[in-house]
Amino acid sequence: MATTTLEPRAAGYRRSWVMDWLTTVDHKKIGILYIVNSFLFFFAAGILALVIRAELMVPGMQFVDQDTYNQAFTMHGTIMIFLFIVPVLSGFGNYIVPLMIGAPDMAFPRINALSFWLLPLGGILIFSGYLFGGAAAEGWTAYTPLSGPSYGSTPGTDLWIIGLTLVGTASILGAVNFIATIFKMRAPGMTLFRMPIFVWTMLVTATLILLATPVLTAGLIALFIDRNYGGSFFDPSVGGNPILWQHIFWFFGHPEVYIVILPAMGVVSEILPVFSRKPLFGYKAFVFATVGIGLLSFSVWAHHMFTTGAVFLPFFAFMTALIAIPTGIKMFNWLATLWRGKLMLTTPMLFSLGFLSMFLIGGISGVMLASPPIDFHVQDTYFVVAHLHYVFFGGSVFGVFAASYYWFPKMFGKKLNEPLGKIHFWLHFIGFNLAFFPMHQLGLSGMPRRIGDYSPDAGWTILNMISTAGAFMIAISILPFLINVIATFINGEPAGDDPWEGNTLEWATTSPPPPHNFDRLPPIHSERPLFFLTHGHGHAAERPEDLEEEPIGASKHGDAERRPEDLV
Amino acid sequence: MQPTAARSRRRTILRVGAPLIVLALAASGCLLPPDPVTEDGQDVFNLYLLVLALAAIVFIGVEGFILYAIFRYRRQPGDDVLPEQHHGNNTIEVIWTIIPTVIVLILFIFSVITLGEMEGGSEDPGVTIEVDGFQWQWTFTYPEGGTETGAIGNPPTLVVPVNEPVRLVLNSLDVNHAFYVPQFLIKRDLIPVGENGAPNELEFTITEVGTYAGQCAEFCGTAHADMTFVIDARTREAYDEYAAAKASGSPPPATGGGDCEVTIEIKAENIQYDIDEFEVPADTAFCIAFENLEDIPHNVAIYDGGDALFQGQILNEAGSITYQVPALPAGDYRFICDVHPTEMVGDVTVTQ
Repeated sequence: MATTTLEPRAAGYRRSWVMDWLTTVDHKKIGILYIVNSFLFFFAAGILALVIRAELMVPGMQFVDQDTYNQAFTMHGTIMIFLFIVPVLSGFGNYIVPLMIGAPDMAFPRINALSFWLLPLGGILIFSGYLFGGAAAEGWTAYTPLSGPSYGSTPGTDLWIIGLTLVGTASILGAVNFIATIFKMRAPGMTLFRMPIFVWTMLVTATLILLATPVLTAGLIALFIDRNYGGSFFDPSVGGNPILWQHIFWFFGHPEVYIVILPAMGVVSEILPVFSRKPLFGYKAFVFATVGIGLLSFSVWAHHMFTTGAVFLPFFAFMTALIAIPTGIKMFNWLATLWRGKLMLTTPMLFSLGFLSMFLIGGISGVMLASPPIDFHVQDTYFVVAHLHYVFFGGSVFGVFAASYYWFPKMFGKKLNEPLGKIHFWLHFIGFNLAFFPMHQLGLSGMPRRIGDYSPDAGWTILNMISTAGAFMIAISILPFLINVIATFINGEPAGDDPWEGNTLEWATTSPPPPHNFDRLPPIHSERPLFFLTHGHGHAAERPEDLEEEPIGASKHGDAERRPEDLV
Repeated sequence: MQPTAARSRRRTILRVGAPLIVLALAASGCLLPPDPVTEDGQDVFNLYLLVLALAAIVFIGVEGFILYAIFRYRRQPGDDVLPEQHHGNNTIEVIWTIIPTVIVLILFIFSVITLGEMEGGSEDPGVTIEVDGFQWQWTFTYPEGGTETGAIGNPPTLVVPVNEPVRLVLNSLDVNHAFYVPQFLIKRDLIPVGENGAPNELEFTITEVGTYAGQCAEFCGTAHADMTFVIDARTREAYDEYAAAKASGSPPPATGGGDCEVTIEIKAENIQYDIDEFEVPADTAFCIAFENLEDIPHNVAIYDGGDALFQGQILNEAGSITYQVPALPAGDYRFICDVHPTEMVGDVTVTQ
């Protein structure tokens, strides 16, 4: 009998850790790459924010000239939105979504790696404008004709276009991957209405990306043609239309706001129930509200254009006001989740409560901006800057830090230090409000955005000083966070599999999870499979019948508990 | 039934509520736009007060509840009893769908009413003034014929009559700009529309004599922050006097080149000068024969650092002028166009 002993190749095959990270297709490693890459861009764009705030502290141009200032705010906005908030949330999605739905990986691991690696490439291209006579300086919205061939002639703007096209392509690929993963890779028993809310928000987000980002990409290519090959899409002197760019940009740009906020809402909707020890109040209402926000987000874009005199105001005002309804429902459901709960104020919970209270302010100012007459006054002023930072920073970035503290133990097996986390939170929270609340008043008093200088007679100096102090306080608040991460790596408290008594499947595996994610999956009877495992439905008298874990695949042909109405 | 719980709840409400209400009142007391000086501005201001009141109610309600929950529902150490597991309640969901719906409908209806009042402009405004925005200045052209163009450090003034509708026709000569006067509580974009488009218009009726600062609110490139202007609202008589004087205008002093020992010729085209340096003798008055070859405002001014030594009159359209420049001490200076200070610059050498 001729037998051949197969050499166990894996045993002899070792890659250096550098090659391992460069070539990985494991969703968890790619997720970490996304997050680390995003934080690097966050720090770069944060430094630009400090340049802006330093320059605005007092009237006059002190530190930079006007062109440098214009490049700084353009890069700040572009990098923060396209290379920090969107990808960092995608990174958490990449890491957590497959775990939450009990899948071994994303649906397309290689596409997953590609969509990550396009990001640093795009980001470097956008920044490389600084090497070729100056980065793009038209604002992150790049309105034509200013960004067109006659006025924005630096190569920085072309690099900005190419870089954003790559970043957009990365998001589209990632969106396809999320949608396929969520629809096709759920574990047995994980029906759509048992998916954690974070998975729902990632699903709606991915759909928005898939529908909105190609529009921006098309617009960017048209702009590139205008600039380099004599196109005239946006040139009024030969029949083009500069307003067309604003329509294209905001048709993408407003869904983008929800692309940025929905996953953060998802994070908060996971954390609040865990640390209130209650289920999310109104799970289905929450899902419908999320889908409703996604649908409405495509009908409101022109509220960014009320002062152009080129849009039908009542329609867009009405649709914009409508978005407040599903958002209000979410807020009430979050509050009801806290009601009569048993709240544990851990750092992730603090950041989530910070999200609620700060996003509320951004939501209120957003509804104010939906009113055209009020918008006529505050459009393009610091009121809008305040509003968007209360949504993006007070909302999304608080969500990002909540997610960081919440899932760090899962990712690295060690718990971040709580006292340092609380110092981070309070510095961050106070600094944030000092930096951005005064901007409401600056805008109401008429200070336009995107100016590097203002008159000493305008009465804006004191508020600008407060705002600058707040910005530096935010920067300082990052230090305890960084120290915390480094110290935890060196000497952190081991987290165990489930340090928070979590509800969802990611806590059912080891920390960090093995490459294939799960050895065994608990049965999935609700959106809180792990809670169910320990507490049943939470009524002391009642215990679930089958608490023992079952091996993966055991219920491949249907779970006895599954009823037809669950098979959505 | 549970006196301790009730007392503790009352105490929490007091502890949370009192400072929050004080804070909200203090904040909303300052979160106001400037006092409006136009009729439409007053309408916007009133609408804003209504919206701010609604905002304050929502803010106090929600933030108050969050703080209440934090103080009231803290988990005590060692408390392992699960709270009651509320999964939801459809009646409550319907109620709190109705609450934001009512709020946004109120907001929407009052916004549309205000919008109707604002857009119900007059058939026949008292004055119609052409406003041209360009990188990075303004030109105001009065119906009587006079024009005014700003220069860096010297913003233009738009003189208008009070108590009658004033219509502005907002043209952009290059990129997007926005005409914004905070005390009018309104802005409107200037968008290049090509030959077939109609420019935006803005109409207002100022109710108080005075001067009001304004500036470009749509980012328009390098010197966007310098695009300021001043509205000077006067009585009708004072306006007529000003407009007539502006129209007859003191014509540019057309001095023959013969009076000058030295004449420098400078032409402007495509937002560029044709020379980038010139040399003149020290302590001698000289002339600059300046020719503007395009319909974009230009001038020639001479600066020592930030100090203007000489500022020539701005030619708003193609034409020529001879400036008489006073004697300069020896040294190196710059000549620039006040309208395009970053693109149109050159060196002046004054030699002994």
